[in-house]
Amino acid sequence: MTVRLDDDSIRLIDQCGVEEVDVLVGYLEGHADLPVDISAATAIHTSLWQALMVFRRNIIGAPMSSLMADKVLSALQAIFAPDTQDGERQN
Amino acid sequence: MDELMVQFAIEARELVQQSSKDLLSLEANPGDRESLESAFRAIHTLKGSVALFDFGLMQDVLHRAEDLLSQARSGRIDVSAALIDPLMEVIEWVEVSIDGISRTGHLLEAQDKQAARLLGLLDIELTEGTAEPAAASAAQVPEWALALQQAMVPSDADETLIAIRYEPHSECFFNGDDPLATISRLADVRHLTLSLNGPAPSPEDYDPFRCMLVIEAVSGASLKDVQAAFRLIPDQVKLIPLPKPMTERMSPVWEAAPAPSAARQRTTLRVDSARIDKLIEIAGELVTAKNGLAPLAFEARSLGNAALSRRILSSHHEIEQLVASLYTAVTRARLIPLEQTFRRFSRLVRETAPKLGKAVDLIIEGETVEADREIVEDLFEPLLHLIRNSLDHGIEPEADRIRLSKPPRGRIQLRARQSGDHVEIEIKDDGRGIDPDRVGRTAVDRGLISKSQASGLSHKETLQLVFAPGFSTAATVSDLSGRGVGLDVVNRSIQRLGGTIELQSTPGSGTTFTLRLPVSVSMAQLMVVEAGGERYGIPISDVVETHKLPAGAVQPVRAGKAYILRDRTIPLLYLAELLQLPEARLPADDIKVLIVRVGEELIGVAVDAIAERAETLTRPLDGLLQGVSGVLGTTLLGDGKVLLVLNLEELVQ
Repeated sequence: MTVRLDDDSIRLIDQCGVEEVDVLVGYLEGHADLPVDISAATAIHTSLWQALMVFRRNIIGAPMSSLMADKVLSALQAIFAPDTQDGERQN
Repeated sequence: MDELMVQFAIEARELVQQSSKDLLSLEANPGDRESLESAFRAIHTLKGSVALFDFGLMQDVLHRAEDLLSQARSGRIDVSAALIDPLMEVIEWVEVSIDGISRTGHLLEAQDKQAARLLGLLDIELTEGTAEPAAASAAQVPEWALALQQAMVPSDADETLIAIRYEPHSECFFNGDDPLATISRLADVRHLTLSLNGPAPSPEDYDPFRCMLVIEAVSGASLKDVQAAFRLIPDQVKLIPLPKPMTERMSPVWEAAPAPSAARQRTTLRVDSARIDKLIEIAGELVTAKNGLAPLAFEARSLGNAALSRRILSSHHEIEQLVASLYTAVTRARLIPLEQTFRRFSRLVRETAPKLGKAVDLIIEGETVEADREIVEDLFEPLLHLIRNSLDHGIEPEADRIRLSKPPRGRIQLRARQSGDHVEIEIKDDGRGIDPDRVGRTAVDRGLISKSQASGLSHKETLQLVFAPGFSTAATVSDLSGRGVGLDVVNRSIQRLGGTIELQSTPGSGTTFTLRLPVSVSMAQLMVVEAGGERYGIPISDVVETHKLPAGAVQPVRAGKAYILRDRTIPLLYLAELLQLPEARLPADDIKVLIVRVGEELIGVAVDAIAERAETLTRPLDGLLQGVSGVLGTTLLGDGKVLLVLNLEELVQ
């Protein structure tokens, strides 16, 4: 399992493929209060990013490896930004 | 006229003003890129607002105008009188039209008739436009690619960037595609934005296996390489080489105001401060309105519906948090950096010091610290006075400094830092300092204190006497800062802002004034209550809720009183007793109770009456009252009466 449910977060670990998206969505639906920790993920499939985007879930942890995850993360933050208090653009 | 129309008129006038200002500066300087962008945005926004109403051809006229500016932006047509003149005419026409619209609610016939003529004017312009062959390709650049280009931090390097818009097929996950991974294989991705190709689906409709993403990116790789990365899915991708920034067209003005400031301008919005104040007021009302939910929950519970009660309480809690963050967010909208005031002093010191025969460096730190606009603006006068004071009397002439083995150049430090919800500003000089004994003698001479009082004061206390009214008189002013205002004026203006000022000085080595000011002035929402025939203010933030209970509900508990609120025993104290007022007697009929939180406990404080609410600025106590426990400060009510603002938490303890 590369998508794991912990007490305080939903964790993505190692290479998270498209086959895991159902599990992730299940957790996202069932645990609206938990943030998603991506610090242990080495690759995250687009479908999982999309799920995080649709559920607008708080993402914690710096992505472990790829520069790409960094870029995706800041793109997501740019979308979520209007929700934050100061509404400033985060690039 | 409806509210929407009123708002439209206000906004449209601002936009008209902005665009005419921009067009004028473009006329003076056709290469002024920033004004071009700004004019485009103003017209674009104006067009959007007009679209909400039916103003005949105005929408088309503005659309045409926007189109022209858009082409000028992309370099397809030149900025010249031929472009600006008709645009100015459009702007003037819109301005006149708005006057009519705000009177009647619709576009007047006289203006409506002119629309067709304006359209004609704008049309001629386009066909006669002097397109530059070099920039011709830019005309084909679609909006999304331009938006991407603008979102990026411009680079100076002369390079071609590729804008990529990738709309993966909705079934692409089934084909084994991983679109973001594909993008990540591209070399040199500079920028990435993600969006959904439609409205966000509800959880029931959401199919995680269908791709709904639109991915936009900018890459520094060559077009060939980018094409290669997408060779299997060319139908899902649009690739646009971005036009180079128009360096050859840049004017000196454009160079002086580089792109980052333009980018910053896009993310800021100028808003009439009255609108923000209105928002703050509404948010403040929400704070109190949300308190109505708690009694509802209790009522639901007493009717036997515990589940409903819990749900109301939980939404009460949620609303409470939201309201609190709303309040914080809107108050933050009034904050501006101290820089606006600080930067005015550099010139002042540079110009004034030589006149006084002194060499002085002003060192400014912490100018990015933010505070309420009113505070930042009103700080100028007192700071000016303090800095002049240091220049005149603090810093010694160069010759004296050398004799005293001090560095020949004097130093004045103007420093700001934030500490909690306060801003601390320090004005520190390395001059001759202030002699407490001399201050003490002067105070006695001026009859501010008696000799015996003076001898009882510490050095620090003595120094603070310089802020007392009447300390500096006209006689001393000539030898002080020569402006006829003493430090008591500075003290008063700082107090008016809800702040305090303190003086520290070591004779021979310098003087430091420390100002402590609230970040925000708008926080003080007061509930005015009556007790023992007097009126007092209590910060609304301290009051959890208010109740009216029959006198019979109060039960004696040992020496005190208490009552039951939602199955909890709440100790009940009487405000007049707490304040030791002579006529402290609990009323015989209904008792009005404020529930306040003291530490973890809820405590009821009975008052005789709850009067109006007031939104004012609380000033800290000074003089003899300073340090009186249980009193936060004083405030002036609309009717001119002074109200003591209580700190219930301190009073109760």
